[in-house]
Amino acid sequence: MSAPARPTSIRDALYEAPGPRTRRLMVAGTVVTGILVIIGIGLVIRQFYVTGQLAPRYWTFLAQPTTWRYLLQGFRGTVSVALTAGVLSLLLGLVLMLGRTSGIRPLSALCRVVTDFFRGVPSLLLIYFFFLAVPQYGIRLSSFWMITLPVTLAASGVLAEVLRAGVNAVPRGQVEAALSLGMRRGRIMFKIVLPQAVRFVIPSLISQLVVVVKDTTVAYVVSYPDLMQNARVLITNYDALVSMYFTVAIVYILLNYAINKLSGFVAERMGVKIIR
Amino acid sequence: MGISELLSTYGGDYLSALVTTWWMTAVSFAFVMVLSVAITVMRVSPLKPLRLAGDFYVQVFRNIPGVALLVIVVYALPNLRVVLDYTTCVIVTTVLMASAFGSENFMSGINTIGVGQIEAARSLGLTFTQIISKIVIPQALRSAVLPMTNLLIAVMLTTALGSQVPMNPEELTGIVSYINTRSTGGVLAFLIAALGYVGTAAVISLVGNRLDKKVRILR
Amino acid sequence: MTSDRTGDVPVIELRHVDKHFGDLHVLRDINLAVARGEVLVVIGPSGSGKSTLCRTINRLETIDSGEVLIEGKPLPLEGRELAAMRAELGMVFQSFNLFAHKTILENVTLGPVDVLGMDKAEARARAMELLERVGVAEQADKVPAQLSGGQQQRVAIARSLAMHPKAMLFDEPTSALDPEMINEVLDVMVELARGGMTMVVVTHEMSFARRVADRVVFMADGQIVEEGAPDAFFDHPRTQRARDFLDSIRGH
Repeated sequence: MSAPARPTSIRDALYEAPGPRTRRLMVAGTVVTGILVIIGIGLVIRQFYVTGQLAPRYWTFLAQPTTWRYLLQGFRGTVSVALTAGVLSLLLGLVLMLGRTSGIRPLSALCRVVTDFFRGVPSLLLIYFFFLAVPQYGIRLSSFWMITLPVTLAASGVLAEVLRAGVNAVPRGQVEAALSLGMRRGRIMFKIVLPQAVRFVIPSLISQLVVVVKDTTVAYVVSYPDLMQNARVLITNYDALVSMYFTVAIVYILLNYAINKLSGFVAERMGVKIIR
Repeated sequence: MGISELLSTYGGDYLSALVTTWWMTAVSFAFVMVLSVAITVMRVSPLKPLRLAGDFYVQVFRNIPGVALLVIVVYALPNLRVVLDYTTCVIVTTVLMASAFGSENFMSGINTIGVGQIEAARSLGLTFTQIISKIVIPQALRSAVLPMTNLLIAVMLTTALGSQVPMNPEELTGIVSYINTRSTGGVLAFLIAALGYVGTAAVISLVGNRLDKKVRILR
Repeated sequence: MTSDRTGDVPVIELRHVDKHFGDLHVLRDINLAVARGEVLVVIGPSGSGKSTLCRTINRLETIDSGEVLIEGKPLPLEGRELAAMRAELGMVFQSFNLFAHKTILENVTLGPVDVLGMDKAEARARAMELLERVGVAEQADKVPAQLSGGQQQRVAIARSLAMHPKAMLFDEPTSALDPEMINEVLDVMVELARGGMTMVVVTHEMSFARRVADRVVFMADGQIVEEGAPDAFFDHPRTQRARDFLDSIRGH
């Protein structure tokens, strides 16, 4: 069988090798759309300019080390909430998944309800719950936990499902083989199934960190000093709202982009697919 | 505060909040579908500038946190002389973000088709437009049903951003924080709202799964 | 079968065709003519360019230089003209490539209805006839994934036949099939050949070549190394490369 280099991406396969007429059209189209895109970018920049948002006073504070030191502090806050919530939600998600696949009816049903609940409510609602309702029962939480716990809960539902998908991806024959060796269900889960399931879903777990990072950005509700909260403080200091918000947004975008890239890289290295 | 008291005092507020969440979700999702298709068309077009712009859009809006985008739309855009009312701000934010994911769903729907079917269609003498309309779009749409169901639920959850701006009427998350700052509703006040979300999500999932079973393409 | 070689122009003709994939010279100065009613079998080792050759005939692969002529007319380069020309050439792929979202019947009627503008009822009747002929009529309302590979490939043949093609191109039609299904597809192809269809078949099935081919073309490294009548070729190959190739496939 001869298998020369054929286009593998469907994106390219939709179009065949252009003939001369198509090629001329494509050149023209590329030029026209290129100009349109440039005009679009130009209009945005122009809007910044005519509204005075490009004035140096809005941007010079970004050159000051103190600005970045303060933002970095906030960034550290973001990272510690995200990582803590990431680890905790992984544990909780694991518990929920194990409960659901335990085969014990009531436990399985309970875990299913809990999983669906955390997947079905907005993380903001959970955050307000910890901020407004929990104190009503006399429970005092630090602002760190007031943001970390709801983010954890919100993520645990999704992670339970991701882990379950991983468990389902382990070939059934392996469980049967282990059963025929006389292994007990629990041992099979921990010795045979879970190690492989986790391997399948590592990239997906990494990509879920993006969701966690996004959820942490409402930390200002509970006045926890994360990147967004510190940016808001800086805005009141410098009166530079537009530039500050855009800067922070870019930081978040780059961080999440990096996490997604990492997830994709790991997925490729391990030869597994990302479940969302 | 007990459930009966909570409901008798705030029952109407909850109801209008639930309805607000519903219509914001519906309106947002309609725009999400339109924008997702537009972005996807750009991304699969043969023209490099459009592809780049489409890919760039997706990378920006799938990675930006909702709140970060919301504050830009609410507070930064007016400085650039774009003033929208609060509800519109929330919808715009939701639509911009969800469309990135919507386009990803369509892209993976297109990717499942496979080069072979396109070549087969070409060999039969179908023109480019026919291949797109008879082979590509029907298959992409049908395999996007389940991911789009999940996206619809995600859109609903994203409209909770409405709690971060003064809205009238409030949506479901906003109403709970409003009730709880006025009286001690406790867990119950939250559970009622949560039930609204979870119940809606369950219905959406049910309908989505049914529809998916009907149109799913065996491979 | 070899009879219909009147002074006609060839149905398919390749003149000095060259093609590269990057640094790889996959087709080197290919000259080939297929007469009406002729069954041409192309064989050769992997990477010899035989599949690429088959795919250049309806421009699924472009060529760098040379000419592809269909009934003496140059193959159009693009657009509706190209689509119209392709509609006159049937193509059967290694991986069947049935439309996954359409039923078996719809797979066969799509071309006649949407390309030829045939009336729907007429197309359906024609399609059922063809499905009957290739032995999968009972499956008409199923979707491709519910059929075995052999059945899918027979549907793919019916789909091409529904277009009343001037010639049929087969690009390794049995290579993706389980051994027990190969014959059901070959049988359909044999019958087609007997019915006078002009065919270009890229295959590894030597028994088919010997039984049905009017002419065998042996390719290696992008070149046509040897061609001739099947018996002559298989029993007395003239070139060392052909001998080596035939030895290697008879080895197992």
